[in-house]
Amino acid sequence: MLATVAADFYWLGRYAERAEHTARLLRHQFTRLPDTPAVDLARGWRAIYRSLGQAGPAAPGGADEAETFLLADAYTLGGNLMEESGNPGSVLACWGAARENGRSVRPHLPLRVWTSLNQGFLWLRDADFAKAWADAPAALATEAIDRLRFFAGVVEATMPRDDAWRFLELGRFVERLQRQTALLDTWRAAGSSADDAPQLAWADLLRLCGAYEFFCRTHSMAVHGDAALAFLVRNPALPRSLRFALQRIDALLDGIDPVGGRHPLAEPHRAALRIGAGMEAATGRGRKTEWGPVLASLAEQSLALHDLVLATYVHYSAAARATP
Amino acid sequence: MGEPEPPVAGSGSFSGYELDAAFHDEMFEPSGGARPAARRLARALAESGPADLRMVQELVNRRFLHEGITFTVLGANEVSEQIIPIDCVPRVLAADEWDHIERGLKQRLRALNLFLEDIYHRGQSIRDRVVPADLVLGCPQYRAEMRGLKVPHGVYVAVCGTDVVRTADGFAVLEDNLRVPSGVSYMLACRNAMKGAFPDLYRAHGVREVSAYPKRLHETLASLAMSGDAPRVALLTPGRYNSAYYEHAFLAGETGIDLVEGRDLVMRDGVLYARSVSGLRRIDILYRRIDDDFLDPVVFRPDSVLGVPGLFHAYQAGNLVLANAPGTGVADDKSVYAYVPRIIRYFLEEEPILANVETHLCREPDGLAYALDNLDDLVFKEVGGSGGYGMLIGPHASKRERAEYKERVRANPANFIAQPVLPLSRAGCFVDGRIEPRHVDLRPFVLQGRRDQHVLPGGLCRVALKRDSLVVNSSQGGGCKDLWVLAQPGAREAGGTDEPCLPR
Repeated sequence: MLATVAADFYWLGRYAERAEHTARLLRHQFTRLPDTPAVDLARGWRAIYRSLGQAGPAAPGGADEAETFLLADAYTLGGNLMEESGNPGSVLACWGAARENGRSVRPHLPLRVWTSLNQGFLWLRDADFAKAWADAPAALATEAIDRLRFFAGVVEATMPRDDAWRFLELGRFVERLQRQTALLDTWRAAGSSADDAPQLAWADLLRLCGAYEFFCRTHSMAVHGDAALAFLVRNPALPRSLRFALQRIDALLDGIDPVGGRHPLAEPHRAALRIGAGMEAATGRGRKTEWGPVLASLAEQSLALHDLVLATYVHYSAAARATP
Repeated sequence: MGEPEPPVAGSGSFSGYELDAAFHDEMFEPSGGARPAARRLARALAESGPADLRMVQELVNRRFLHEGITFTVLGANEVSEQIIPIDCVPRVLAADEWDHIERGLKQRLRALNLFLEDIYHRGQSIRDRVVPADLVLGCPQYRAEMRGLKVPHGVYVAVCGTDVVRTADGFAVLEDNLRVPSGVSYMLACRNAMKGAFPDLYRAHGVREVSAYPKRLHETLASLAMSGDAPRVALLTPGRYNSAYYEHAFLAGETGIDLVEGRDLVMRDGVLYARSVSGLRRIDILYRRIDDDFLDPVVFRPDSVLGVPGLFHAYQAGNLVLANAPGTGVADDKSVYAYVPRIIRYFLEEEPILANVETHLCREPDGLAYALDNLDDLVFKEVGGSGGYGMLIGPHASKRERAEYKERVRANPANFIAQPVLPLSRAGCFVDGRIEPRHVDLRPFVLQGRRDQHVLPGGLCRVALKRDSLVVNSSQGGGCKDLWVLAQPGAREAGGTDEPCLPR
């Protein structure tokens, strides 16, 4: 597979995952609108923006960040993250970027994969946002999520398990690893901040990750920070756990790796295995986990993993490679 | 009960269909009755109301939009993508009409390949004054770098898209596109859409299939390899912002070859490689869809970032095949075009099967005088122009436009040709809720391999959707429609998927 084609698939996976992640955060926040106190909503918006690494609205003179989110209109904040084409992190912009990557690899995409991606983008681009915000904002986010999952399903159902699929999925899970790590760290930071009480609800974090019911079934309805974080980091059965993402990354890199998992492993594969081993060691049962350093380290290593993937498979020096 | 009355132009569902004796009509005879080849279609159209056709049109448009069958339009400040306007009424050609076109196209391409080989080697046709030496050697598309260079199997032009028009006098070639002709993907997409929209009608007509084109293209390109089994073929595109990017991606996907850009390619020891995830991979044949100028900044335009430094060296060394070869543009120059009938007679010793359009060369004193004297009635074109840009349609231009253009012609006569305003034939189109005639042309595609020639039995039928307009280019308000070439009764073609879909 051509290096630039691999890069396009990788970014396609990343942008599609990013769009879905943001849409899930928005849906969660929109569903809370009718019955949540303003101060809690503002805290929710701040957490969303922080976890996405995005700056919030410009603060009016003298207002601090918390006040800024309290004063801002929910639909302005939501619109910025959903439809604002000038915001490269908005759902629409991410979807558009995924579509552009998809256009670049059209020769490798089954027609239905392309049309599901394209149709979804055109639907969102042409959506009547004013009406959606007035009528049922959560429904818009829900449909965006459904359409992105439909796309993921068509990928799953139709793409051969070749390098094109592997790079697309690799992008998806590297993105998930980074986004989930940032999300968990945002909640952790709010939970450990003495002056930020009442904290963000841990149950909300589990809901955001589609894990609340699963947690209740396997643990308890009383949700504590440590248990929730451990669950979202370590549980291999949970699609949005960090371990799940790392296991998928390991398997995908194993497929991409020209030696197929035998030594010497390619650098990205080694790095992914090191991240997993480090996480195991730091969060193992029977020990008190210092979540701040663990999540900070994971964030740093997942960024390095991304750089390593591109350096190894895409931006390598041609002079260093032997000709066949 | 007998068959329903055959439809007639100007009545019933065709009440908006006004025949004009000045133009050949593809659907109706001058008397108003449907032509034999189009009779079944006309009857079906008469039976379906505007609501049905509107629904078909919307379905086709939606399909194109969702499948991303678009072309890129570069605006002053933004890049937008548009679907190519499709008319849902097919144009029908009888088997014998197509046979005439096919023979003419094959003949023309054979002659032009021989001409190209001659001008870059012995130059006998120039010495024999078949074509003026200064016309060839002074043509901007003439590449001195190609002089004496042996082109694999003598195939300079492997893929050709010739523009054919029909007037009251019959079919004629308007233009030879020998560099990077485009449009075949829209034609194939259009065919798929029409098959879906009119499945029964399509089957009943016995239309010749075009779906084998990608396979034929791949065979043609692979046949040009200098040696070895399973040569690696790639398609070189300028990138996704190019107006024809959809076509590049489509052809690469359908032929199973790599779609590469300059940044994917690396030269090493005079051999071209593509960067893959696992290292460098050799490329033997490059189907390039970028102009000569941009192929290699070392040899051609130094500011090109689309090509690869050293690529032409690999070509010279015989390590790479380029399709089409650099320098083919000299043979589709609009001035050289006027000499193609002589080229055919000279190289093949045959009379041209397809006529040329009357052309006045402004580079010649007589031609210039005639052209300027009759500027109000003629169409002027720049010899290196394309896409409908840089031309003047005398009868439709304002007085000021004509005066300005006259000055441009006087300043550089060699850059212009003049032709009469062609009475392009008209075909039925669904416009504003009814069927009306619009002017059409046709771009069939010809493949020239090491041994075989193949003419795709169909083509991009371009249509001027504006009433009375003669400009069919999509960049100038034109669209396209499907062309149904009917099979000879009982005929079967070799090549598997080329088999005609005969009536059951």
